[in-house]
This record gives sequence, structure tokens and C-alpha cells, in this order.
Amino acid sequence: MNIKELAALPKTYKKLKFLVVDDFESFRMSVKQMLRAFGAEHIDVCSNGKDAVQKCTFERYDIVLCDHNMGEGQTGQQVLEELRFNKRLKHTSLFILVTAETSKEIVIGTKECQPDGYIAKPITKAVLQKRMDSLILQREALLPINRELDLENYPKAITLCTQEIKKGSRYHNWCHKTLAHLYYKAGDLQHAQKIYEDILNKREIAWARLGLGKVQMGQQKYPDAIDQFKKVITDNQDYVEAYDLLSEAYEKVGKRKEAQVILQQAASISPLAIPRQQHLGELATANQDMEGAISAFKAAVKHSNHSVHDSADNYLNLGRSLCDSSELGDPEKSKEHAEEAINILDKAARKYASDDVTASASLIEARVHKGQDNEAASQAAFTIAESLIDESTVNAETGVEFAKTLYRLGKTDRAEKVLHSLAQRFEDDPSIINSIEELLDEPVSLRQKMKARELNKKGISLFEEGALAKAIDTFKEALKETPKHPALNLNLVQVALKSLEGKAPGNSEIAFLNQTLDNVKHIPSQHRQYKRFVSLSKKVAALSDRVNSHTS
Amino acid sequence: MAEDSTKPDFAMVMASAVHDMKNSLSMLLHSLELISDELPDEMKTSGKVATLQYEAERVNNDLIQLLGVYRLENDKLSVHIDEHYVRDFLEEQAARYEVLFNSRSITLNIECEDDLIGYFDRDMTAGIINNTLTNAARYTHDKITLKAYQEGHNTVFEIADNGAGYPASMCSAPGRIFKGIDFETGSTSLGLYFAYQVARLHKQGDKVGSIALENGGALGGGIFRITLP
Repeated sequence: MNIKELAALPKTYKKLKFLVVDDFESFRMSVKQMLRAFGAEHIDVCSNGKDAVQKCTFERYDIVLCDHNMGEGQTGQQVLEELRFNKRLKHTSLFILVTAETSKEIVIGTKECQPDGYIAKPITKAVLQKRMDSLILQREALLPINRELDLENYPKAITLCTQEIKKGSRYHNWCHKTLAHLYYKAGDLQHAQKIYEDILNKREIAWARLGLGKVQMGQQKYPDAIDQFKKVITDNQDYVEAYDLLSEAYEKVGKRKEAQVILQQAASISPLAIPRQQHLGELATANQDMEGAISAFKAAVKHSNHSVHDSADNYLNLGRSLCDSSELGDPEKSKEHAEEAINILDKAARKYASDDVTASASLIEARVHKGQDNEAASQAAFTIAESLIDESTVNAETGVEFAKTLYRLGKTDRAEKVLHSLAQRFEDDPSIINSIEELLDEPVSLRQKMKARELNKKGISLFEEGALAKAIDTFKEALKETPKHPALNLNLVQVALKSLEGKAPGNSEIAFLNQTLDNVKHIPSQHRQYKRFVSLSKKVAALSDRVNSHTS
Repeated sequence: MAEDSTKPDFAMVMASAVHDMKNSLSMLLHSLELISDELPDEMKTSGKVATLQYEAERVNNDLIQLLGVYRLENDKLSVHIDEHYVRDFLEEQAARYEVLFNSRSITLNIECEDDLIGYFDRDMTAGIINNTLTNAARYTHDKITLKAYQEGHNTVFEIADNGAGYPASMCSAPGRIFKGIDFETGSTSLGLYFAYQVARLHKQGDKVGSIALENGGALGGGIFRITLP
């Protein structure tokens, strides 16, 4: 920094609003004294994260100096996370994390939320001044650009960034990074790509490589993007954002197992990020890895205390995966998981004390008890839920949960009624319709689903080996578990048709084929198995005509 | 990830103890600053305050290195390479030693271009420079130069003084010192070992960082050099 800039600094300090957050009064006072000595006049202090968030809600601070470890309550990182989440921090504001922590977990965790600066304790006046001076000078220089970012006037921000670069600004790297990000946001992937490539031609820089990968994701070049993210990870093993994106790219190409493995790595590097744990739990659930789901949702519950990501869903999801898992495996473990599920669901109901949460928790509990053959407890939990649910107004999520429990308790007709009414009420929401369909397809326990899936796989490989009769038997066995499953029924029809090739089928065979097709007729036309259903139906009809014309 | 709750994790215990000590050091150093402002001039120059500060800084550096070396051994040390303005960075490190250098009549010169940008792990590199500065404060006659420049793709930091210089054995065979810590030579080896490891964690393509020791230069004393790709 030059002398002219330095001379103007006390004036700049004077007009800025500061907030100092630390649980030690002596520390707050000493930082306040230091800032005063630099020329600052407007300095607020507070001693915990909750107050800090509240203060930031009512007042726009230009600079927040926040301690990381503040004993009980929120950490500095959680304060930043909450402020960012609720958009309480402007681009023109600086959030500076003060910390004596050097543990890897915390350093990486805090870097993920990207504070504008990071000052290590011990702090002396001279050090604080140097650091604040350069942060404030940077803030001043980039203020016009950040103002436009706050106004979401991206074209203007792009113009200003370009001007700043042309001027030969010392902040040209920041400008390039921001510019590429702005082009990306505006959907101008080509320009973003060019900036990233230009930077990478000069030097291997992780954020540029990551940006290039994001551009390729946007261009749907997923394998290319996967390569970029892999390279970032090889060079920077702790760059968690690269893991998140790699996982996302794997999901895009349908590799959910790989996606889960990568996300698991990210979560073990930086376990404090709740949204990642939540997503990991969902992925594991989709992959039917109940242990994985349990451990992810457990982490989400554990770390979400005081966090903006604290929600009943973390508890309910943990309850759900424990419930599913209590229906698998050895009896001892099953009992353990069932008890844990009840415990966590009770906690959720007490902590959040809303009808929706209590209803969902009770519905899951009813299934858990059912799985442990405790009919009385199951019925009791179900009655509580039933009393809280109005079927005509129930929200989609609780409604689907309700139907799931009804199926589990053997009340199939009522379950279907609930789902049909939900389908009518939410006909415009594809994700809800999808979960309703899934339930209609396989209204059975996870254990049954897994068994059916296993048998289905076996049936397919028997079919491929040409062992048609054995394949048919295997599919039939699988259908005992999931009688309405579309793909499974259609597999059976296909194999049966194949086994009838070149033979003269009798009426009983035709009847069997029609009956199997009947199991699938509940699927709507947008279902992914629908085309196959129609084509197989035609084939069976043609075969049936032939048989009838022979016999008549 | 199974957690064994009965067995305390040494790294956790150490990290939280270090955290606590650094909070204390923070207060200690700040109080020292305040006290020294109120002291009469003859006390200010007596060097007693500076000694207090010097020793506190040494404790702080030792703590950083202790934790750093522990993490290194356990493969838990990772670098976070970011872009930094080198001059701002050096001025900040030098600021820590203002009182100390003044009281000992040591002049510190920073030689670095205003807009030089370097790519390195800020905390770790700061740890190394601080350690070398405290070391130089002990051995210099009255001058220290803190210098940084670009050399090809590398960023080079140099800390030079006008003291007696490093022993010849250290300059000629730095590798031998890094193979193990010789506790008889005290903290110098630990500092060098840490610096060597941190330099090596800085990679760019197939290039890795390095450190070197030599004597001479413009000031005629010891020169410590860390080159980061």
C-alpha cells in the first residue's frame, strides 16, 4: 500500500461500522481499544453468536470481527453460515474470523464458508492494524463492484470488473475470479470458460480448475467435468467443494454409488457441514445403504445444534433410516436400531413440538413397533398420528408417510385412497407424484424390497444364461415380496413370452400372462415402464388372438 | 467412523490446550503493549519489556511448530494454498516484532515489490518467517532484511542478518539436520525441520518448495531462504 492510501485510512475507519464478537470480555475490550486507536468510532460488541446474528439483522455492519470458539452456543463458523444463509451479509461487508484453532477440521470447515479474512490469535495491535488496513483498502477499491453485486446488477458489475482489470489493478486476480463467476451466473458459459482456461494456462490454480469443471457441468459435458474435479482433488486433497461437485457429476451420469463414496470422503474431511451430511443421507438411502444413511443423518443431528440447518427433518430422517434398518439383519441389531429410532423420534417430537412433526414421528414409530411385533404400541402410536392428521388438508410429506404406515399395518385400501387423494391435490408437483408412484409400485418394507431386487437381479442373469424356466420361478418368487412392481412383472411377462416361442400356448398360459400384466395396470402413462407395458400388452394380445383363432 | 469415547484423542487434547494457551498469549501480548505505552522512556529502552515479548513470541512459535510437527507425523497437515499480496503479508509479520526490534535497536528492512503476488499457505509460511525472525533477532548485530521476490514461477523469501552467520555444518548439509531432530542444538533444528516439511508440501506441477541456508550476502550474516513454486 502506498503512503497516500495509508494517510487516508483513519478517515475510512471513522466511517465504518464494526462489530466485535468474542466470549471473553477482556478480548472484546482490547480489540475495541485497538480499533479506536486506528480511527474507528462506531464499534459494537457482543459475546455470543446469537446476539451477533440478531445485531446483524437490525444493523448493517461493514466489518464483523468474530471469534470462532465461543464456548457454548454457536461457533463463529455457524454465525457466518447463518448470516450467509439468511443473506444478512452484503458483498460490501467483511466477515473476519478470529481464531486460535488450527485443527484441520475447523480450518477447512471455516474456509468452506469463505470468510473475507482470517486472523490467527494471538493478536497484537500492530498485526491487527496491518491486516485490517489491507482488508479495508481492498474493500474500498472493490466497493463499486461489490455494490453492484449487492444490487444484483450483474451486467454493471461485469463492466466494472473489466475496467478494473484494464486499469492494471492490484486486485486483478479477484476481478478475474469474480468476472468468471458472473459470466457463469449469467449463463455465458463460453466467456467463463475462456477466463478459467487463460488462468490455467499460466498456472495450475484450484479455483480456476473447479470453475472450468462447473462450466462443463453446465454444458452437460459430465465426463470432462469429472476429470477436472478429480484433478483438483489429486492436487488438493482437502478441497471439499471439489468432492461435492464430483459427487454431483457422478449423480448426473447415474453413478449413485460412486457419488456416495465421494461425498462420504468429503464428509469425513469436513464433517461439520450439515447440508452435505443431509444429502449424503439421502444418497445412501437411495442406494439402500442403511448404515451409511444412519451415520450421515446422525452427524447431521449432532452438528446441527445451534446451526441454521437445524431442522426436524434431520431427526425424522434418522428415525426413518433406523426404522428401515431395524427390519433388516440380525435380531439383536434390529432391536437396538428400533430402540434408537423410538428414542430419536421422541426427541424430535419434544424438541419441535408441532403437529406435523409429532404426526410424522408417530407414524414412523408405528412402523418400528410393528417390525418388533409390538402390535399394541404400534396401534397406540398410529392413533396419535391419526388424531393429528386431517386427510383432506395434510401436507404431501406427512401424507406419504401416512400411506406408508397404512401399508405397513396392512391397511392397503385406505393407503391407496390416501395416495389417490394426494395425487389429485398435488397433480402439478412432479416430485410428489413421483414419490406417490414409488409407494404405489412397492408398498412394502425395505427388507422385502431388497429381497425382491436381489431375486430380480438373479432372474435377469438366469434369463441371460438361457435358463428360462428357472428365471420364471425366480421372478415369481420375487413377486411374492413386491406383487405390484412394474419392472419385475414386465420381466416375468417378457421371459414367459420367450419361453413360449415356437410353442402352442394353452389358455392357462395366456391367462397367466394377462394376470401378470394386470398387476402393472395401475401405472400412469408418464411412468418410465409405461412404453414397455404397452408393447408387451400388444404382444400378449396378439398371442391370445392366435390361440383363440386356433381353438375356434 | 467409529468414535471411541473412552480414549481421548491426543491431537484433540493438544489442539484445545494450544487454543487455550494462544488465547492467554493474546491477552499477555496485548497487556504488554498497553503497559509499554505507559512506561517511562528509560524503562521502554531497558529491554525488559522486549524480553517479555520476545519470549512470548517464542512460546507462540513453538506451539505452532509443535502442533505442526505432530500433524505432519500423523499425516494431518495439509496446506491451503491461496493467493496473497506478499508485501502486505511481510509487513504484517514484521509488525509483530516492532517493539522488540526497537528496544534492541535492530533495523528491519523489507524489500519487496508492492504488488508482488505469491501462492502459499499463509499460516504456515507466517510460522516459518516468524520463527526465523525471532531467531535472527537473537543472532543479528543490528540489521535484518526481509526480502521477497519472484524467480520464474517461484516466490522466494529471504531473511538475512548481519550476525555471525550459520555454522558451516548447517549450510553444507541441511539434509542431515532434517533427517532427525538433534535435541542438543535446541529449537533451531525443529524450526528448520518444520520449514523444510512445509516447503515440501508446497507443490506446483512436478516442482516442490525447498529451503536453503547460507552466509554472506549484502549484510554478511546468515541468510535463510525458502523457495515456493
